[in-house]
Amino acid sequence: MTAAELFLQQFINGLTIGSVYALIALGYTMVYGVIQLINFAHGEVFMVGAYLGLMVLLLLPPSPGGVLTALLAAGTGCALLGMLIERVAYRPLRRAPKLSVLITAIGVSFFLQNAMMLLWGAQDRYVPACFSPGRLGGGAVSITPMQAVIFAVSLFLMIALQLLIHRTPLGRAMRATAQDPLAARLVGIRVEGVVSSTFAIGSALAGVGGVLFGLHYSTINFHDGYLVGLKAFTAAVLGGIGNIPGAMAGGLLLGLLEGLGAGYLSTQWKNVFAFAVLVLVLLFRPRGLLGERVAERA
Amino acid sequence: MAPLQAAHLGQYVDDCRTEIWYTLNMADNLPHLAIAGAARICAALLFLAGCGQAEPAIRIGFAGPFTGDQAAQGLDMLEGARLAVEEAVSRGGVLPGFRIELVPMDDQRNPAQAVSVAKRLAADPNVMVVVGHLNSSCTKPASAIYYEARLLHVNPVSSNPEISRQGFDTFFRVCATDDLQGPAGVRFALEELKAKRLFILDDMTTYGRGLANEFEKAARAQGLEILGHEGIAQGEKDFSPLLTKVKSLGPDLIYFAGMFPEGALLIKQKSELEIPAHFLGGDGLFEPTLITLATPRAAEGIYLTTLGADIRQVPSAQSFVRAFEAKHGHLGAYSSYAYEATRLALEAVRRAGRKDRAAVLAAMREIQEYDGILGVHTFDEKGDTTLRTIGIYTVRKGKFQFVQAAE
Repeated sequence: MTAAELFLQQFINGLTIGSVYALIALGYTMVYGVIQLINFAHGEVFMVGAYLGLMVLLLLPPSPGGVLTALLAAGTGCALLGMLIERVAYRPLRRAPKLSVLITAIGVSFFLQNAMMLLWGAQDRYVPACFSPGRLGGGAVSITPMQAVIFAVSLFLMIALQLLIHRTPLGRAMRATAQDPLAARLVGIRVEGVVSSTFAIGSALAGVGGVLFGLHYSTINFHDGYLVGLKAFTAAVLGGIGNIPGAMAGGLLLGLLEGLGAGYLSTQWKNVFAFAVLVLVLLFRPRGLLGERVAERA
Repeated sequence: MAPLQAAHLGQYVDDCRTEIWYTLNMADNLPHLAIAGAARICAALLFLAGCGQAEPAIRIGFAGPFTGDQAAQGLDMLEGARLAVEEAVSRGGVLPGFRIELVPMDDQRNPAQAVSVAKRLAADPNVMVVVGHLNSSCTKPASAIYYEARLLHVNPVSSNPEISRQGFDTFFRVCATDDLQGPAGVRFALEELKAKRLFILDDMTTYGRGLANEFEKAARAQGLEILGHEGIAQGEKDFSPLLTKVKSLGPDLIYFAGMFPEGALLIKQKSELEIPAHFLGGDGLFEPTLITLATPRAAEGIYLTTLGADIRQVPSAQSFVRAFEAKHGHLGAYSSYAYEATRLALEAVRRAGRKDRAAVLAAMREIQEYDGILGVHTFDEKGDTTLRTIGIYTVRKGKFQFVQAAE
């Protein structure tokens, strides 16, 4: 293996987990964009998505069609879950201090974790393999079919999201609400509906990310949402929280940093390396890589 | 600010989770929960009314991971301990006038939780002996608490040699240790696999790091080339960057000292990266779930060392294997060790003849040449068994297959 091949392989490794971080980071950043809430239950939505996907894969034969159904089911299920969480836990507290909502979010997170533990048990669950374990392409660098699926699905969803935000009436309403909820209301936008849709879209992306995560690492557990959620949150901050391309870039960058840190320095130090870069970025760009330089509102 | 709060709340929720879990799982069956509860209330009422014949209890603590990623191993061990207690009870009890209660305690394979569980067991005056924990990282700090409480502690499978070197006269264990397992692995790698260039991985726990260091020491003594020795964190899932680096160094054997959840992912990702090296692991991988998680295709042809010979080939173990399989369908990798340790614990209580921790401890010290299912145990001054066999297994067609026994 030459140095260039080694680097390329490490790049692919980092990009794989980075794509999953990016999908989850989008939900954090979109919700923060419209209501300035760090939704700490978002990591748990990702975990519920992984279990929804597992449920479908246990019912259907392990095939590409089964995976597509699992992705759709997890996306839809998590979208509904996200809307429900917003309606039940956050909307009643819309005028309450920000800290109350934050604590509620942590409460929702514990509720979902324990609910899934009681439903599925505390053990690791095995996700059946749905793609041949071979690889694509020749040479010393290997990409598994599963990695290709992760790249393809993430890329498709990110492009679709960009189109939705910039080309549709809903996207325009979301951007307007993010800029100024009061003005948006004044021009006739149903702000509560927009907030609800934002939760639905962000949660659907997390749900899809959960299924991909489960398929790639073949085990899921009720506490998987915690660390992955924290990493995705970091990615959102790294890219500039509230900024959608920033979350995508932040996720991919965090994955790459972890991968290269583990590959070239030491696995023990990979989180230290990734978070040291986060601190450095925030020192020089406190609003993240793509964050706006000035405050949007007083 | 927020992650800090989350961490504190997290500990609290972990405790609550343990409680919920007991309530739901420790009653034998969920539908019977109400009946069991009602029966318990009736028993209490009868006792209060003074017309019951409730015997005082002697409690046997059993600690291991019953939730979390190692729950499969922990629960298989718990069933082994249960079987030992049930057999003793069906043979007419252990001490006349006392009933035996097995108290399962979940340490979540977390050392901090293990200490809290140990303190609860030590504080219960009805607990006469503790059997457990699975992980050396849990057993080591817990053993100090049992020592202070003068409570007999029989350990089934924690193989770190440091534990018995702490000088605790309350500690006994029924398995071989890693200062034997590491060198046995090196001998197999050298003689059978003809390995010359090794890369060593461990999970940075008391067990994993300890075993990996014993392996590395023995490998260096044999003149093998060590290309690197790195740690991974328990609970991590993505090892492909590390394995890519290992691949570029071109070892002919990768050694992993750690537990099966991480081991399975290492094996799977090693296969995805098409690393042509042999894979050898320690006894923490000896769990059938490993093969499912890693996929049988990737696990084919890996090797591992275990503490003790193939239980199915030990004549004295056959009635245990039959009884266990009749009850649970499959035999867990560590069930026999938990069964053996629990039987020894009950034997110490029986020989003590009274409900007294000091007497039970003294009785345990007297046990020599105990004829168990794993073999004949005599305990040295450190509390370690004289049974020192290490087994070598491989995976063939999705199943563990015994290869050879090494002394």
